[in-house]
Amino acid sequence: MSYENFERFFTTEKQKQFDTDFFQDAEAYEAWDEIDFDSDEEIPGEQTFLIKAEDMKAYAMGALDDNPLMVDEEYAKQSPYGELVPHPIFLTQVAFWCIGVKGKGNWIRTPGSRNPGQKMEFYEPFRVGETIHIKMKPNDRYIKRDKYYLNYKIDFYNQDNVKKATWVVALILPKTKADLKKFVEGIHALEA
Amino acid sequence: MNKITFDSIEVRQEIPLFKKSVDQETFWGYAVGSFDYNPVHCDPEWVKTAQPFSIPVTVAHGMMTMSFMMSAVTNWAYPAMLKITKATTKFVRPVQPGWTVNCTGVISEKHVICPGKNYVVLDLKAENQDGELVAIGQAEVVFPD
Repeated sequence: MSYENFERFFTTEKQKQFDTDFFQDAEAYEAWDEIDFDSDEEIPGEQTFLIKAEDMKAYAMGALDDNPLMVDEEYAKQSPYGELVPHPIFLTQVAFWCIGVKGKGNWIRTPGSRNPGQKMEFYEPFRVGETIHIKMKPNDRYIKRDKYYLNYKIDFYNQDNVKKATWVVALILPKTKADLKKFVEGIHALEA
Repeated sequence: MNKITFDSIEVRQEIPLFKKSVDQETFWGYAVGSFDYNPVHCDPEWVKTAQPFSIPVTVAHGMMTMSFMMSAVTNWAYPAMLKITKATTKFVRPVQPGWTVNCTGVISEKHVICPGKNYVVLDLKAENQDGELVAIGQAEVVFPD
């Protein structure tokens, strides 16, 4: 997988900084059987996300949505919204950035993980100029039809601690670090 | 901006189709836009042997499919300044390169609370070019009036 495949799509500063190699730090990713459910403590992300217009536009364009409210700053400014409006699933970009590579929640980067479905709630729209931080905690972990499911509840806040959204992010994961390693090596490993 | 009033909405009303064709370029573009560089979407060589979905090809991001489904909702809701408050999806079948994803929605519930809190629930569906179900979902949309 060549970095050049991605570089030609880059339109934002964060895209140039973000680690595109999901294999490199895979040994540091939390495995399904390692998640700590004993603590009730909310965990912060590795970094915060300063929302720029280019970030919102990049998400919409990546999702093939050319709605001018999402991609045309001048159009959006002249609209009743008065500003760019994010695509609802812009949360994805914010979450991956804030979770980072080596901190809690990094299991979302697991090679070979599968997406069963997602739940999001939106309270206040994200706005250009806000700085978003996340607080997350393990929500549920279960086995169903021989597959290992994990989800975390992530709350998104702005710099004034106004809650913007909640995402219960779920994936089907390899059960153990050893299973994860098989995937990194390119071996099918979702059976426990 | 279009004016859609809560009173004008009826259960079983449909929202316009949102349709997109996808390929490996699309998957790479979405990876860059979302920061999700999982190799199941991005690495055709790796997936030949790893096969998380038991097929030797890359698949679209579930979040991209969810985005398409929500684009059907935003195309309808945003011009009328309606507020999306919830979105859920369940993925049924992975989307492969070369497929077309057709996203539709229908108003299934109309919640009559009070002005400013009235909302509707939309049942959402994504199907491929052969009519096979790819994903289902729901969105809740609040009316300002």
